[in-house]
Amino acid sequence: MSKLSFRARALDAAKPLPIYRGKDMPDLNDCVSINRAVPQMPTGMEKEEESEHHLQRAISAQQVFREKKESMVIPVPEAESNVNYYNRLYKGEFKQPKQFIHIQPFNLDNEQPDYDMDSEDETLLNRLNRKMEIKPLQFEIMIDRLEKASSNQLVTLQEAKLLLNEDDYLIKAVYDYWVRKRKNCRGPSLIPQIKQEKRDGSTNNDPYVAFRRRTEKMQTRKNRKNDEASYEKMLKLRREFSRAITILEMIKRREKTKRELLHLTLEVVEKRYHLGDYGGEILNEVKINRSEKELYATPATLHNGNHHKVQECKTKHPHHLSLKEEASDVVRQKKKYPKKPKAEALITSQQPTPETLPVINKSDIKQYDFHSSDEDEFPQVLSPVSEPEEENDPDGPCAFRRRAGCQYYAPRLDQANHSCENSELADLDKLRYRHCLTTLTVPRRCIGFARRRIGRGGRVIMDRISTEHDPVLKQIDPEMLNSFSSSSQTIDFSSNFSRTNASSKHCENRLSLSEILSNIRSCRLQCFQPRLLNLQDSDSEECTSRKPGQTVNNKRVSAASVALLNTSKNGISVTGGITEEQFQTHQQQLVQMQRQQLAQLQQKQQSQHSSQQTHPKAQGSSTSDCMSKTLDSASAHFAASAVVSAPVPSRSEVTKEQNTGHNNINGVVQPSGTSKTLYSTNMALSSSPGISAVQLVRTVGHTTTNHLIPALCTSSPQTLPMNNSCLTNAVHLNNVSVVSPVNVHINTRTSAPSPTALKLATVAASMDRVPKVTPSSAISSIARENHEPERLGLNGIAETTVAMEVT
Amino acid sequence: MAEVVSPVPGAGRREPGEVGRARGPPVADLGVALSPQGEIIEGCRLPVLRRNQDNEDEWPLAEILSVKDISGRKLFYVHYIDFNKRLDEWVTHERLDLKKIQFPKKEAKTPTKNGLPGSRPGSPEREVKRKVEVVSPATPVPSETAPASVFPQNGAARRAVAAQPGRKRKSNCLGTDEDSQDSSDGIPSAPRMTGSLVSDRSHDDIVTRMKNIECIELGRHRLKPWYFSPYPQELTTLPVLYLCEFCLKYGRSLKCLQRHLTKCDLRHPPGNEIYRKGTISFFEIDGRKNKSYSQNLCLLAKCFLDHKTLYYDTDPFLFYVMTEYDCKGFHIVGYFSKEKESTEDYNVACILTLPPYQRRGYGKLLIEFSYELSKVEGKTGTPEKPLSDLGLLSYRSYWSQTILEILMGLKSESGERPQITINEISEITSIKKEDVISTLQYLNLINYYKGQYILTLSEDIVDGHERAMLKRLLRIDSKCLHFTPKDWSKRGKW
Repeated sequence: MSKLSFRARALDAAKPLPIYRGKDMPDLNDCVSINRAVPQMPTGMEKEEESEHHLQRAISAQQVFREKKESMVIPVPEAESNVNYYNRLYKGEFKQPKQFIHIQPFNLDNEQPDYDMDSEDETLLNRLNRKMEIKPLQFEIMIDRLEKASSNQLVTLQEAKLLLNEDDYLIKAVYDYWVRKRKNCRGPSLIPQIKQEKRDGSTNNDPYVAFRRRTEKMQTRKNRKNDEASYEKMLKLRREFSRAITILEMIKRREKTKRELLHLTLEVVEKRYHLGDYGGEILNEVKINRSEKELYATPATLHNGNHHKVQECKTKHPHHLSLKEEASDVVRQKKKYPKKPKAEALITSQQPTPETLPVINKSDIKQYDFHSSDEDEFPQVLSPVSEPEEENDPDGPCAFRRRAGCQYYAPRLDQANHSCENSELADLDKLRYRHCLTTLTVPRRCIGFARRRIGRGGRVIMDRISTEHDPVLKQIDPEMLNSFSSSSQTIDFSSNFSRTNASSKHCENRLSLSEILSNIRSCRLQCFQPRLLNLQDSDSEECTSRKPGQTVNNKRVSAASVALLNTSKNGISVTGGITEEQFQTHQQQLVQMQRQQLAQLQQKQQSQHSSQQTHPKAQGSSTSDCMSKTLDSASAHFAASAVVSAPVPSRSEVTKEQNTGHNNINGVVQPSGTSKTLYSTNMALSSSPGISAVQLVRTVGHTTTNHLIPALCTSSPQTLPMNNSCLTNAVHLNNVSVVSPVNVHINTRTSAPSPTALKLATVAASMDRVPKVTPSSAISSIARENHEPERLGLNGIAETTVAMEVT
Repeated sequence: MAEVVSPVPGAGRREPGEVGRARGPPVADLGVALSPQGEIIEGCRLPVLRRNQDNEDEWPLAEILSVKDISGRKLFYVHYIDFNKRLDEWVTHERLDLKKIQFPKKEAKTPTKNGLPGSRPGSPEREVKRKVEVVSPATPVPSETAPASVFPQNGAARRAVAAQPGRKRKSNCLGTDEDSQDSSDGIPSAPRMTGSLVSDRSHDDIVTRMKNIECIELGRHRLKPWYFSPYPQELTTLPVLYLCEFCLKYGRSLKCLQRHLTKCDLRHPPGNEIYRKGTISFFEIDGRKNKSYSQNLCLLAKCFLDHKTLYYDTDPFLFYVMTEYDCKGFHIVGYFSKEKESTEDYNVACILTLPPYQRRGYGKLLIEFSYELSKVEGKTGTPEKPLSDLGLLSYRSYWSQTILEILMGLKSESGERPQITINEISEITSIKKEDVISTLQYLNLINYYKGQYILTLSEDIVDGHERAMLKRLLRIDSKCLHFTPKDWSKRGKW
């Protein structure tokens, strides 16, 4: 006997309830009333109404009869559906569309007056119609406008006349009628309207006020976390905006200063002209005796903001030279890796005559350091890490470690690392941007004024300045310069020559060949020639495959690998037009590109070290390793400036010659590092694709191009199909003098299927087939072209810091 | 709880009377003979002649809510006690049984004479008892709240702020706290912001307790409103308010309506049709995008919904208007409103079948449609409370039929007894679990048998259901529904 528990379990909504029907049903006596266990659900009605008579009656009727009984329904007031004029009132028929009805939002307001005429109005209308024609709609529009223009205060007749574009008599008639009717009207308006709430809260309990706005408790945010995040974002935004403002202000200041500088320069030039100081002798005398600060004499080309560089005192020049020398050495040494003997770099910008190569002593380095550190513009020079040290002790966890048996084509890690360090470069740019008279070894000729930089991936970039002296300079036999090249290296070209040039602008257009030579001899004009690799280079232990004799040969090749693309001068003016915004964006893009590259590098773990050799001496002098690479002496000498924009032809030679303190392109601080240099070039290119003065030359890690090409091809086989199309490109651009093997870094780029990489590969291929065609030329063109898409690609990646660093 | 009264119909009928005392000459003690006409004031209770559905005369007790004088003839607005307010009406002197008049109680600061505890009016239940037992007018009068009211000279504008805080809290437990707090110091405050029904009637005003529109003409129908609706006040004196059948705009005269119809080219509710089967269509109207129609609809609906509040704008609501098509267009049959985002699982805020269409199955169709929408949304839902009497009956009927349909459709598998959980029923039907349980209880299907709950389908239940389903011809066909729910929480505000 099952004893029913007194207390039934609670009804569980998740528990299956068996259903019993009809005869199966257990005797209800066996069932326990559930009222005790299951609380009675509320009906949901107001208690008072629940007890209403008719409802209770209906409920009980339903309980009893299980269906509605006619007599038990709840009575309601009657409704009739016999409006007999309905069909007359609602005229016409409406055909049900086949499609579901879909209304366009805001389609309902078709400018119909809200006011509806009544019978009284109709009487007036009939009366008025005896004298003039007035349609009901016209009348309604009039009343509607009057009503809507009035609040408690009725509009005056004058206002009414303005409101209504009708006959004066009609207006008067309607207006008078309206005023009368309005006064008799009980409501606040002839257009019946729902009472609006008043702001003072006096209508809070007015039963006729409806549809109040839900202002008090408008929900704003639901998620507090989200709230905070967006608040922080707003703060950040504000901070960044204010930074942007600061930057713009500084740019403004800079531009003003530039203008001032220009004026001063002009003044100086004028003075010199009056004094007849065409050779710059007087100026030099004056300058030597003065402190640095007074020597702002570089003739500035207005449109090239980046070329406004403060000239340095002549006395410093030797040190700069030494720095350059060391830097190049460092680079060279660095690039020699034992596992990649064929990829040794040949420095393009070496002097052709190794005999004359100056040996730079430690003392020189020290001297340089001393001096440079003294200067305001070289505050960070002393920070560097020496190259060998870095080789032995790479920077911690980020250091790149080579694996045995691998051929590495990626750039050096340290370079990549340095791409992030921006500040230290300021001083070095002076050197970097100096243009000097440059000679190539193969073909042996003088290419005029140029400056050399090492671009991304160790490519050597020759920035040429086209001047009107070019024809003269081309006649110069490089051998002529050999005799004094070593000594001339110490001479800062810019100060003298710029002046000369500036003056020449006024009096004469050309310097004669002899004048130039004399300038060179008198150390006023700096001359640079590529030189062959030193023996000291080859004794570095990594250089396994090299023998001295080979070295020389290789160097011949590599030195020749400087490609010069001096296409035209037409781009010059374009560059001048770069705006600050463009520049800023480019800056950011540059950083982006650098980052990307770095990422690629680290990802790939594949570095083919460019075989540029570094001189051991370089370490001390270089500000940091990256610096040294950037500024190897050869490049500094060899590279022409004009990174961004080619100068105005008339003065270009002069202006580019800076050992200036400004390391900025377009006046903004330029991040350092070799890759950055290239970037800056790219930047310039991309910003004004028409710039022709920029040349990109890739220094080659390989002794011959042939070595490189396979590497390229293997690393990016997918790029090969495109070769043919690009080949034409390369051929097309073959005004480059020498084939320059493509540098290792190209490979790293190719690892990522970027357009640049593709083209580089094709360039490599083209080199294969057309040996005389310089890949470097292609590269330069590529660089020009490719950075456009690349830039586009990078646009999305936000990089805010570059601009900030300026401030 | 029930001892606290609020001036809702059927409950505290005494406040008006008390009010009358406050402004007029104090009413003499009970039993004092008064000349029949002059003394009949608001608050008096007396049997009033009324004809019921069976056309029989009856004399239910009624309360005079208002008196008006039309061309020398007095009219009395009466509320029949324990009848719904919708039956309140203006009656002439002849229909009053003055012999049994009960005058409103003198203002009582003192305990009531009949010794009922407290000084508050009784609950409806108690009142019913009292009516039966004592026909004494000695009903308790709220004391402390009375002075807070300010009463204009005409009774129509009197405000009866009589409710007690405790009462409000109880009846408005879901509402915001501010209501009860504010009203306790006599300053009435706004109703809660969510939903469109008020359960707190403490601010009920005598104005809103009386119908203010005599007749509404809508299409071919003439409707007698059941409750107050805040149409512009100047229109309340009209014998007939003319509404455009399609845009629901109100006009003061037939001429105005005629003129309006020349300008209004709507032939259907100004929304998107989301359902059509046969002549029945549903239109969805956004209360934010189509304010004027939504407001007009609310004004019309308020005439038939007691607890509906039009205090706030229509922005947070969607309106689903059911129409019946004929050659003139899509005629509104009924509608329900729905919060775009409901915090309390409401899938219906207000629901109404217009009186001409009532008792023909349209109400159930509306309810069924509302649950179809919930099914599409994948939610369960319940109508916003409070329900009206008709609402309760309709919902109960829908719930019963829907649940019984499922229960009876269950087939026994392999000889075993079919079974189902409450949650399953809820999921299938989108009816909220509580409503399922209450329906099962109401139908008395749940029994406790041998240690477990069972559902018993008795024969009369089955028969009744089958008979009812035969009559239920109008059904929603979910295949005809073209509806994509929107996630309103992702929009800024409604």
